Amino acid sequence: MGDDNSEDGVPHAGKAERPSRRALMLGAASASAIVSIKPALAQTAGSVLNCEIPVPDPGRAGSYIDANGKVVPPGTKGAFPPAVRPFRGEEVKKAMNGANLPGTTYDQSRAYTNYIRRLQRGTSGFTCFASLQMPRG
Amino acid sequence: MTRYRAAPAATLRIVPLDVLTLVYHRASGITHVVDSPVPELLEVLGEKPLTLDETLAALAAAHDLIDPDREALAARLDELVAAGLVEAV
Repeated sequence: MGDDNSEDGVPHAGKAERPSRRALMLGAASASAIVSIKPALAQTAGSVLNCEIPVPDPGRAGSYIDANGKVVPPGTKGAFPPAVRPFRGEEVKKAMNGANLPGTTYDQSRAYTNYIRRLQRGTSGFTCFASLQMPRG
Repeated sequence: MTRYRAAPAATLRIVPLDVLTLVYHRASGITHVVDSPVPELLEVLGEKPLTLDETLAALAAAHDLIDPDREALAARLDELVAAGLVEAV
C-alpha cells in the first residue's frame, strides 16, 4: 500500500483550502488576553512618572515639530515651535490617553505626542517614553 | 468620540506560536504574550483609527464573529491601551 492514501475517499484532505474566514471570539469582558513581560530596565512607578522628555531633544533644540511629529527647521509653516519645557512622564502618559500636554493646544499636543512616539533608542527622552509603555508603569 | 489606533507596524514584531502569539513592542522593549482576538485587533486597527463600533464592524467583516459583544470588545481595547499596543486618540 505504501503511502498512497488516495483510495480512502478523501484524497486531498491534507491539502484542503484554508477557509478565508476564521471564527473569532472576543471572550468574556472579565477575562484577560494579554500577559506582558517586563525587561529588567523597568523602573519604579514614581521615577517613571517624574522622568522628563524634551521636545525636541537638546541636540535639535530650536527646531520645530510638524503635525506628524517630525523635526523640521525653525519657522516651518504649519509646524509648532519647540516646547518651552520638557514634559514629565506623567504628563506624557495622560497625553497618550487623549489629554493635552500642559500649555499646548490640541493640535500642538498631537504633534508633540507624535514626536515622542517616534523617539528612537539613544535619543533624549526615549528611556522615559519606553518606561511609560510598561503596563501600570 | 474615542478612536483606537494600533502602534505603528514598524514598532511591532509579531510571531504566532500555535494558539498564542508573541508581540514584541520595539518602542518599549516589552514582549506581550497574547491570545485571540488581539492579533486580529492589531490588524484592523493598523490601517486607521477606528471607534469602538467601527472596530466591531471591521472584525465582523473579516471574521466569523461568534460573540459580537460591544462590552467584551471594549474590555479587550482597554487592555491593549494599558499594554501600550493601542493608543486611544
